[in-house]
Amino acid sequence: MASGPSRPLRLLGTKIPYVEGPLKVTGRAEYTDDIHRPGELVGRLLRSPWPHARLRSIDVAAARATPGVFAVLTGEKYPTPFGVLPITHDETALAVGKVRYIGDIVAAVAARDERTAEEALAKIRIDVEPLADYPDPQTGLSKVAEPIHARGLNGTNVQKEVVQHFGDVDAAFARAARTVRVRGSFVGVTHAFTEPLVTLAEATPDGRLTVWSATQVPHYLHRSLSEVLGIPMHRIRVIKPEVGGGFGGKSDPLPHEIVCAALAVETGRPVRMLLDREDVFFTNHGRHPTQNDVRIALDADGRILAYDIEAVIDGGAWSSFGTVTTYYNGVLAMGPYTVPNFRYRGRRVYTTKPPSGAMRAHGGTNIRYSVEVALDRLAEETGVDPFDLRARNALPPHSLTVNQFRITSTSFLKCLAVARERSGWDSKFRRLPFGRGVGLGCGFYISGSNSPIHFTPKMPQSTVHLKVDMDGGIAVHSMQADIGQGSNTLLAAIVAEVLGVDLERVHVQRVDSDVSPIDIGSYSSRVTFMMGNAAREAAEELRGKIVAGAAALLGVPAEGLEVGHERIHPVGRPDAGVPFLDALHRAMESTGALQATGAYRSPTLGGTFKGARAGTAPAYTFSAYVAEVDVDVETGEYRVEKIWAAFDCGRVLNRLAVEGQVEGSIHMGLGQLMGESMNYRASRLFNPSLLEYKVPAPQQMPEVEILLVGDDDPEGPFGAKEAGEGPLIATLPAVGNALYDAVGCRFLELPITPDRVLKGLDLRAKEGRRWKGA
Amino acid sequence: MHLDPFELHRPTTVDETVRLAGALAGRFDFLAGGTDLLPNYKMHLNLKPHLVALEDVDELRGFSADRLGAMARLADLERDPAFAATWPSVADAVGEVATPLVRASGTVGGNLLLETRCFFFNQSYFWRASLGFCLKADGDRCHVVPQKEVCYATHSGDLAPALMVVDAEVEVAGPAGRRRLPLADLYDAKGDGVRRLTLAPGELLVAVHLPRAARGRRGRYKKLRVRPAYDFPELGVAVAGRWTGDRVEELRIAVGGAEPRPRRFDTLTDALVGRTLDDARLRELAEAIGKSVRPVHNTFLLPDYRRRMVAVYVRRAVAEAREGTAG
Repeated sequence: MASGPSRPLRLLGTKIPYVEGPLKVTGRAEYTDDIHRPGELVGRLLRSPWPHARLRSIDVAAARATPGVFAVLTGEKYPTPFGVLPITHDETALAVGKVRYIGDIVAAVAARDERTAEEALAKIRIDVEPLADYPDPQTGLSKVAEPIHARGLNGTNVQKEVVQHFGDVDAAFARAARTVRVRGSFVGVTHAFTEPLVTLAEATPDGRLTVWSATQVPHYLHRSLSEVLGIPMHRIRVIKPEVGGGFGGKSDPLPHEIVCAALAVETGRPVRMLLDREDVFFTNHGRHPTQNDVRIALDADGRILAYDIEAVIDGGAWSSFGTVTTYYNGVLAMGPYTVPNFRYRGRRVYTTKPPSGAMRAHGGTNIRYSVEVALDRLAEETGVDPFDLRARNALPPHSLTVNQFRITSTSFLKCLAVARERSGWDSKFRRLPFGRGVGLGCGFYISGSNSPIHFTPKMPQSTVHLKVDMDGGIAVHSMQADIGQGSNTLLAAIVAEVLGVDLERVHVQRVDSDVSPIDIGSYSSRVTFMMGNAAREAAEELRGKIVAGAAALLGVPAEGLEVGHERIHPVGRPDAGVPFLDALHRAMESTGALQATGAYRSPTLGGTFKGARAGTAPAYTFSAYVAEVDVDVETGEYRVEKIWAAFDCGRVLNRLAVEGQVEGSIHMGLGQLMGESMNYRASRLFNPSLLEYKVPAPQQMPEVEILLVGDDDPEGPFGAKEAGEGPLIATLPAVGNALYDAVGCRFLELPITPDRVLKGLDLRAKEGRRWKGA
Repeated sequence: MHLDPFELHRPTTVDETVRLAGALAGRFDFLAGGTDLLPNYKMHLNLKPHLVALEDVDELRGFSADRLGAMARLADLERDPAFAATWPSVADAVGEVATPLVRASGTVGGNLLLETRCFFFNQSYFWRASLGFCLKADGDRCHVVPQKEVCYATHSGDLAPALMVVDAEVEVAGPAGRRRLPLADLYDAKGDGVRRLTLAPGELLVAVHLPRAARGRRGRYKKLRVRPAYDFPELGVAVAGRWTGDRVEELRIAVGGAEPRPRRFDTLTDALVGRTLDDARLRELAEAIGKSVRPVHNTFLLPDYRRRMVAVYVRRAVAEAREGTAG
């Protein structure tokens, strides 16, 4: 496997502007909705107004008879269940037999225009038997009259229960010097990506189906389309144009994508399905509303003895990634610390609400908040500085956790040291005036899930193909999904770095299942690590061929040559070499255009117990953030003034992209902390709009000081690890703990809105507790 | 969601507009900046087949220190430092409306006549249908305070309280000619979230007049909202006054964003004229106003919190106005 670089890097490590940037900022980049096909129809969805109901009959005759309507679909036509995880296929393209939330898709229409489609939908008559709805996961833990899914455990709405125990937690608590318990409560939040969900599908007379879609997972979409529509994969072509953000909200194959393709098949015409924002909110798959209960035991030396964790997470109507989420809420709680005894019980419960799923820092965010608040309390109660407590418990590099996660590189101690120093922690903590405070939060995240979802780890998770012809332009094919995070740029930069050529020679091709070798997509923070290694391998193979051409031209053995800037030359003698193009053309004499391929396979990781693979990753990232806040103690409003973000993502490959990810992650984390909330009353979502769903305004962003301190990872491409999700996690507890330092109140319900801050202050006043002189 | 077709009319004079309004009685809406009306139309909220665009009516445009045309753009007001110096409470409020993009289209008249808002009203047709419609659109009951008589939708404009504290008057044109009335009287004291204005059918807001006598009042507008951009007010407090030393010469306070109409609190403030407004008295005044404002649970923040904030915002707005520079 690739290790450190053999010569200084030329391009990687600098700030590399996105290769598609000029197209995006001038409006020329092609997103799904920019693509037009002749004779297009408009697809529209009819959603359930009932939270839970049995479908008795659906009368579509009048809709079908409406002039300009080409097809009307209901669930019976394509009832094959699907879902992102093969073990939990419980989703259907359209409702079959039952509807399970307000917004569940009941019928779909393809018509000549939007108005006709909506007119037709209005004519559909649905006869239902309303059923009891279950908005509260707590209710669903016991037997219910009408389980939302038949697969609920023993007549309950529990979709997945995880019970794990390593070591002896009870014994550890019995001998603990100090214990703490924190119960956190978290509402659901959603991705709020910019580009709404959109799909275009066309069935052509050659028997093929082409689907363009705003997706993070073209390959999973490809599989699901094939399964549900009953068309072999080789007759389906999935194209991923530019995507305007995903954050996990486009990482499932989604029902509207399948419905759109089905309508194209039914009509033989291209069908466009552009969802509006309310549709996007109903599709959701956002972060699970969560109740967690964390107990931590410390010994007399301030070492963590044990974690005992329970979590109940609200899955909404479908499974989505939920089985993974259920595991993650436990297993991702341990790192960045050594936890010798660990017990976890997690339950994911179906409710009659829009489905929860994966969202940036999936499964690692809510539990992290509670753990870090608990550690903050333990530090206070034992009279130890929060930094010292964490440093004392840091996971060592090249170690195994109690649940057999293989830890390789970690620069967590460096993160702690630099965050402490840069933030001026020692002069601020508990020393700022009442209303002002600093807090520390730390984080830990996977750098790519080690398990490909649909096949064994023997198959590559990522494959990259290169092709170069006489023009000297290098075409790069891979199904890696750039969703705005910069993976196209990284792919091009790695190829350019290895070959020594200018970035402009490298052309990353649009994802197209006809030509792109499989990479399983942009989720689980896997792309840089896995695609990066595949790209490097492919580029090295290509370099070998071109260097052989140079060797032939120069009449010297290839072993004595190295790649310089657009040249291949004897080691240390740039003047004696040949231009890249000359070497390329010589190399092409025997085969014509050159090709090369590279692939990344996961290592064998994890234990053999049930669920052992959940959370295993070829590397992990670490973080330590300090936040400084200023609270208006009369209104409860507060401002996060600054965040010092120390992050270990291994070697930084594109500084511009990494810094963007850290800033964006902090913005998203602050959103969940300060005001974002899927507001439900019973099963009804009250704020399905970007006006009432409170993504923070730019003015709410604090100053961010980014401190990238990672050492090279032994297996990451050029030493790199992920930077897409890990940077979010520490944001929330850093601010939560800073609020405590500011006003002496613990906030365990998110979001921390001003009224909750006031409630905390009221409670403190009532208890007569004084804080920093107030 | 899509915009249903409508017939667009573009009159160029006030008289022509009034005639059109008479001819289209009950079947039209005036279109000013469109930043609120058109999103509401997409949600199929009280659609009308005709829109009478006011953009080409010259008399409605522009502004001076004495007069704001109904179609004066908020962004233009915002860019005029002389106006801000003369009318500080109004300038504060203009700068707090939505976002720069909305203010580029949004108008003075549009903000004053802004449709009242409610969680149960500002939703898509699908959403409202799934619950059963409400008093304010397509239905016959209120979901906020369950009953069938009164609508609790909230006045959500920023400009009204800020203009009310400088005793602004509005000029209205209608079939019966022109009339002027205090801005405060534009909002129906006996009305509710649906019957919210005192305008007669077909009446058109022409301009806002700013009385010379109110010039030189120190003023402030403070807005409670979740985010410092985008959001409608969860509470808006405007203050304008004159002080000699600590002695109150004039004081006006208005509260918007909390009830179906913006309100002024003259009885409470008039009682302070000629007296010293020390901290204790200011606190008392703020508490009294806070007690009388009764928000309901139909916006993002909880009503108890919004109500509690009335007193805080009043106190701060008065204190800041007093410290501020006079125009």
